[in-house]
Amino acid sequence: MSLLEIKNLHISIGDKAIVKGFNLTIKPGEVHAIMGPNGTGKSTLAKAIAGHPSYTITGGDVILDGKSILAMQPDERARSGLFLAFQYPSEIPGVSIANFLRAAVQARMAEGEELDASGYYKKLYSKMDLLKIDRKFTSRAVNDGFSGGEKKRCEILQMAMLEPHFALMDETDSGLDIDALRIVADGVNTLRSGPLGILLITHYQRLLDYIVPDFVHVMYDGRIVKSGNKSLALELEAKGYDWVKQEFAAANA
Amino acid sequence: MKPLTEIDGAPAPASPVVGIDQTAGNFSYKVDYAFDAGTGLSEDTIRYISSVKKEAPWILEFRLKALKTFWDKPMPTHWATKDLENIDFQKIRYYLSQGQKPKRTWDEVPDDIKKTFERLGIPEQERKFLAGVEAQFDSEAAYSNIKDIVAKQGVIFVNSTEGLREHPEIFKKFFGKVIPTGDNKFSALNSAVFSGGSFIYVPPGVKVAQPLQAYFRINAENFGQFERTLIIADEGSEVVYMEGCTAPKFSTSTLHSAVVELVALKGAKIQYITVQNWANNVFNLVTKRGVAHEDAEIKWIDCNIGSRLTMKYPGVVLKGERARGEVLSIALANDGQHQDTGAKMVHAANNTTSNIIAKSISVGQGRSTYRGVVHIPKHLKGCKNNTECDALLINTNSRTDTYPAISVRGDRNATQHEASVSKVSEDMIFYMQSRGLTEAQAMSLAVNGFINDLARQFPMEYSVELKRLIDLEMEGSVG
Amino acid sequence: MASLTSHSATTVGAFTAEVFAAHLARVQHLPAWWLDRKRTAYARFAALPFPKRTDEGWRFSHLSGLSLDGYQLAAPINHQQVTKQDLGAPGAGTLLLANHQVVYAEPLAAKFAQQGVIFTTLQEALLKHSDLVRPHLLAQPSKLGSEKFVALHEAFLENGAFIYVPRNVTVDLPLGVFHYASGTGTALFPHTLVVAEENAKVTIADFFRSSTGAGAQFACGGNDLYAGHGAQVTYLAMQDWSRETLSFQFNATVARRDTRVLSINLHAGARQARHESFSQLQAPGAHSEMLALTIAHGTQEFDQRTLQIHQAPNTSSNLLYKNALLDQAKTIFSGLIVVDPDAQKTDAYQSNRNLMLSDEAEANSLPGLEIQANDVRCTHGATSARIDAEQEFYLESRGINPTQAQELLVFGFFEEVLGKIENSQLHDSLAEIIREKFKA
Repeated sequence: MSLLEIKNLHISIGDKAIVKGFNLTIKPGEVHAIMGPNGTGKSTLAKAIAGHPSYTITGGDVILDGKSILAMQPDERARSGLFLAFQYPSEIPGVSIANFLRAAVQARMAEGEELDASGYYKKLYSKMDLLKIDRKFTSRAVNDGFSGGEKKRCEILQMAMLEPHFALMDETDSGLDIDALRIVADGVNTLRSGPLGILLITHYQRLLDYIVPDFVHVMYDGRIVKSGNKSLALELEAKGYDWVKQEFAAANA
Repeated sequence: MKPLTEIDGAPAPASPVVGIDQTAGNFSYKVDYAFDAGTGLSEDTIRYISSVKKEAPWILEFRLKALKTFWDKPMPTHWATKDLENIDFQKIRYYLSQGQKPKRTWDEVPDDIKKTFERLGIPEQERKFLAGVEAQFDSEAAYSNIKDIVAKQGVIFVNSTEGLREHPEIFKKFFGKVIPTGDNKFSALNSAVFSGGSFIYVPPGVKVAQPLQAYFRINAENFGQFERTLIIADEGSEVVYMEGCTAPKFSTSTLHSAVVELVALKGAKIQYITVQNWANNVFNLVTKRGVAHEDAEIKWIDCNIGSRLTMKYPGVVLKGERARGEVLSIALANDGQHQDTGAKMVHAANNTTSNIIAKSISVGQGRSTYRGVVHIPKHLKGCKNNTECDALLINTNSRTDTYPAISVRGDRNATQHEASVSKVSEDMIFYMQSRGLTEAQAMSLAVNGFINDLARQFPMEYSVELKRLIDLEMEGSVG
Repeated sequence: MASLTSHSATTVGAFTAEVFAAHLARVQHLPAWWLDRKRTAYARFAALPFPKRTDEGWRFSHLSGLSLDGYQLAAPINHQQVTKQDLGAPGAGTLLLANHQVVYAEPLAAKFAQQGVIFTTLQEALLKHSDLVRPHLLAQPSKLGSEKFVALHEAFLENGAFIYVPRNVTVDLPLGVFHYASGTGTALFPHTLVVAEENAKVTIADFFRSSTGAGAQFACGGNDLYAGHGAQVTYLAMQDWSRETLSFQFNATVARRDTRVLSINLHAGARQARHESFSQLQAPGAHSEMLALTIAHGTQEFDQRTLQIHQAPNTSSNLLYKNALLDQAKTIFSGLIVVDPDAQKTDAYQSNRNLMLSDEAEANSLPGLEIQANDVRCTHGATSARIDAEQEFYLESRGINPTQAQELLVFGFFEEVLGKIENSQLHDSLAEIIREKFKA
């Protein structure tokens, strides 16, 4: 069975410790939401798990299906079933979405195995239909000159095509108006029916109205300080983050 | 039949750009040359070339005058690289051939030469998509043919030796008019010792449906190839010309110095496509210029991947109203290579427009340089130029330079020039890696994306060829 | 010295060995090291050839206009001939030099003098603060083509202004320097030297003017701007020589760690004006902003050559040269950004905008890059065009008449440079001068 275990993870940028002992296990089909104030290490967590070179893991482990992924290159992690939906996806001028995804799908095939082009396009178009994305989209260069909403939809399309076991979704709601948010959330919900496990990072509760999580965790100062279900998110929405900070300060006093 | 001896060229150095196939042309077969002007340059060399070609006296005179101009002109090292000083003109062989008359069928081409072109895939390409082919081997065309259907339209496509002999009335009228002998030191050298190259004439209104192609092959060591091409597109006609070139890699230097003149008469269109993939011991010093008359269009698509040093700035003189000129160029400079390329646009009539898009990629210690001239003189109106130069630097020690010169007179014209230098960002690479691509694949995609909008302008067959050439495998060069 | 007289008149023009000897006699009270440097400079000037047509650094320049014949050293003048010059804003001090002599001065405000700020003539500084002057005065190489004329400047440099701001001192009001050339045929060699030590902050406004009806003059001036660690230097130059003058201006800027140097050069005067500006970004965090605005009338030629050298990582530079061309005027902009192999994370920008306001004007643009590091952001752009017809129409559609609309758009074009002058009174006063020059 597929399992993503994050064990006592410590992450630094340069000399600065950002994530300080983060623990979480995600099972297939589960949606975990991580909430918390800005600067608490949420995005750092997602990027470091995906293997971004700017972050150093100083302690703990990330285990995917029983194997540590920390020694793996970012692309090996991705091919092992991990997917990061970026908060700020990179623009890649001159490389069309169709060609990019084709290269990514090909990369997952065994050496010498050739991608079946017609099958690939059939799958691509069916996923696009599912996500209500215009066919013309595929000939545009990846994220190049895209609006915020288009970038996020492009992320979801990639997720649909690459069929990861676990998705880390970093502030997928940021910069989206309600209509765009609904389209993106619909896309995620469509993919949710299967064994996909999701770690949803968000600052605002509103995304959770559209993608209802199984678990909600509050992150503060680099670790989870409170866990609960959907109602915790509503509580946070009503009370703000200050009470978390106060509770944390009191506990550490 | 003589037995064929295969000689492998010197081994190419380990390249950080593994995917680039600079070695496709790195082989040679032993060839017996019936005509050899020997090593070094003097008046005798020129008299020899002229006599074996049985040239008219005016041509010999033209050549001898050019030789004097060549000796008189200094090396342009006050603005160009000092590497030019490493050319020893007395160590070069100026004329080598098996004969002056090209064959019309591949069957007639001697085996030792035919084998080379077969290995390079030329006869196959000809069958597939070309209207005509000229295959030059060292100093002369070994093969030259044009499809009947095209010949029947009155299109002339022969090598310059034949052109001079059989069509002097057209040839003489345009020859040396676009690029005068004294234009620069290397145009003078070419004018003195030229041999081979294409002569094309397209009659009024004729649109040549498929491209005409020339393939230039250097086979001998210490050799200098000096082809001379003249293309005349008469009123309202259209033609696409493509050239490719390779040479085996030798430890000594090889010189290639061509002169290419284009004339697009009223309403004509010429597209000239080059995929230059010389071995990296070749000094490639080429002068290319076209004159575009009223409503005519000249488009240079210039791709430089090979050579040790390339200096080439294709130009268009926009002589007639509403003429259009365009240069689209891609350069790739690897270790030991300097691609010094650019464009020259001289506006000489109202409402003329020019467009320059240059993209370069420097890998390892490769150096790419863009030089451009845009000139809009007094009392013209409605002229426009757009120039974009983008350089991509792959490694920390890669180098790029940009030296444009834009002169505009008057308030009724507009020019804009933009240049940028960038590298492939780490975030972009990480993004692609996070989708499962290796670092090398990610780099390759990014580099191809960088030139993609230009590569698309190439005809299908060449665009595929180019993609193959620039299918960079960046193992070890990601920094 | 005998050998020097053998040079032909065309190489040294009016500046013969005899004239140099006469100049030396006038400055013989200055320190020996300086006089030695002047002698060496004169020998270099005399030995160096005139620029040739094939010199890359003189591409498009009108070389025959560079003749050095027919000038003489500035003669002492009558103080009454000079009217007091106005900075146009409250200042921390002013210095008015006419033909190299101080004819008027508002001494440095006491609160700055007490903190160790020095604001005086270059002659006095050479005598009293030799140790502060020597490391910075004309200490940078000449790399933009005018080696001969820079040597001439050094040889005949007679007087100028010296500004020294010690560590952690902010001079929050501008200092004004006026260089005034009087008399037909006068050769003037002005110089302004600014030394801002660690975390110092200072603004200098440097004016160059000719006496009314002065006719042809020769001005060969320079400025050295040194910004120490964390210093902020703003240098404004307003070149307004007579329209018959041949002018050279050489700038050398040295920016150390975390500095911000802003240099704004306004060009209106001269028959032919060559301006060379050279910025060295020597340590991380250095930033140099090089701005120029030129109004070219009649047959004036403005020849501007710039060099931004990034010698250390994390440095930035921003160059914007704007030219408005009228009549038969000609401009040349030749700029080069050099990024040394170690200067990763350089951010350099270079832009030349030519506004063509006449069908007879000529703009030449040579924006260059030499990049030897890959993790950089370097861009340049050059445009030449008339006023945008769409913008003109837009203004007219709001009821503004065509003449006014054009003027508004031209002033808008100027404002991109003028707007960088933070001192609003100085901004307004310089903007007014520029507008008048434009209308003239």
